[in-house]
Amino acid sequence: MGTVIVITSGKGGVGKTTTTANLGHGLAALGKKVCLVDADIGLRNLDVVLGLENRIVYHLLDVLEGHTTISKALIRDKQYGENLVLLAAAQTREKDAVNPTQMRELMLELKQEYDYVLVDCPAGIEQGFRNAIAGADKAIVVTTPEVSAVRDADRIIGLLEAAELYEPQLIVNRVRPDMVRRGDMMDIDDIDDILNIKILGVVPDDESIIVSTNRGEPAVNDPKSRSGQAYRNICRRMEGEDVPLMDLQSEGFVQKFLRKIGVGTANR
Amino acid sequence: MITIGENAALTDVLEYLESKISSAESFFAGADVRLSFLGERFSDDEIAKIAELMKKYDVRLDSRPIPTVEEVDKEKEQVPGEDTLLVRRTLRSGQKIYYDGNVVVMGDVNPGAEVACTGDIIVLGALRGVAHAGVGDGVDATVFAFRLEPTQLRIAHYISRSPDEKLPQPLGPEIAQVVDNMIQISAYTHWDN
Repeated sequence: MGTVIVITSGKGGVGKTTTTANLGHGLAALGKKVCLVDADIGLRNLDVVLGLENRIVYHLLDVLEGHTTISKALIRDKQYGENLVLLAAAQTREKDAVNPTQMRELMLELKQEYDYVLVDCPAGIEQGFRNAIAGADKAIVVTTPEVSAVRDADRIIGLLEAAELYEPQLIVNRVRPDMVRRGDMMDIDDIDDILNIKILGVVPDDESIIVSTNRGEPAVNDPKSRSGQAYRNICRRMEGEDVPLMDLQSEGFVQKFLRKIGVGTANR
Repeated sequence: MITIGENAALTDVLEYLESKISSAESFFAGADVRLSFLGERFSDDEIAKIAELMKKYDVRLDSRPIPTVEEVDKEKEQVPGEDTLLVRRTLRSGQKIYYDGNVVVMGDVNPGAEVACTGDIIVLGALRGVAHAGVGDGVDATVFAFRLEPTQLRIAHYISRSPDEKLPQPLGPEIAQVVDNMIQISAYTHWDN
């Protein structure tokens, strides 16, 4: 039996959907069977990020309302086929068309078949959030190094604990090492100090993410992308491997050269 | 435990509970509740209605009868407002605690969280949210934390807030109390009272 993991944040725009897509691809690349569920009903876009929009025939609500079977509604990924599938959200309906009991039953069925069921949670703490966390075994909280995002993450962790989803893990997204170095951005220690939960990964801000998101090809597949590397590391940690956090203090060519020849360890 | 007064009408009780629970949903969610009656016990049907309301907010009602308030009071002679609530977790944004007595938090009080009580507040961790000690007229109340960096600090009717510019982090435990009509924070060495 697999694990249902909800990916949530409270605040919008911190990268839940991008994270879900990248973890899905990353875990499938490790040979796992993965099902992605877009629980953001009415504002779906996981399908777009995965480049599967044009293949949607049935969506989550069609399944919940019995218009079709689960297997017919699951969309196979272009690259991984049956090992990575998407259950799209309904775009023409609203979040209160679903209730937690239905979601719980659906998750129970999906995890019989898949190693990982990743649920992309909508922003906010209302009905959509309650639906998305119903049936989840674990939670991943995504935040960015901004005071408002961290505050919302804190609120979400409290709500998850109230819903008996204990020990959520944290992904800090869009970290800009240069700004952290200058003291213009919260660093990981500041965030850890407030949230005090296990850090699953730190993802650097990366232009390639925007390009890949628009193209529908998650960055995790790009061997040269630093954020892709961060997501690959996260997937390996989810699989129980002990992978140290990436050193985000990006080295320029000159520093790298100087370090190689043993001069100047400053700018680490 | 919820105490229902003499001659209370079911509709009033339901209305009050609904407003109380919905004002702090996350605090009540998952809680176990028992009812005690000052007057005559409600019928099973009426209690079932209360249970139904609570279920909506994920609060469990234990409907077994419990001893009346008088009986309990006789067992232990307690001074009101002198009890202490022990909170064994970190209070996160949006969570609020109110208690008639003292509060000890074994964890942090994060920004956006709130602790209010009629007595003293002790935080064995970082206090970064809002703390209100001595609610009512407890001007002698104190607030203590290993790291005292509250958003806002209130003691009785005195209110102070953190300065807008960033301060250096406190080096050790600190205590806040009212001195000369002002809330004053000092490094903790020993309890002054």
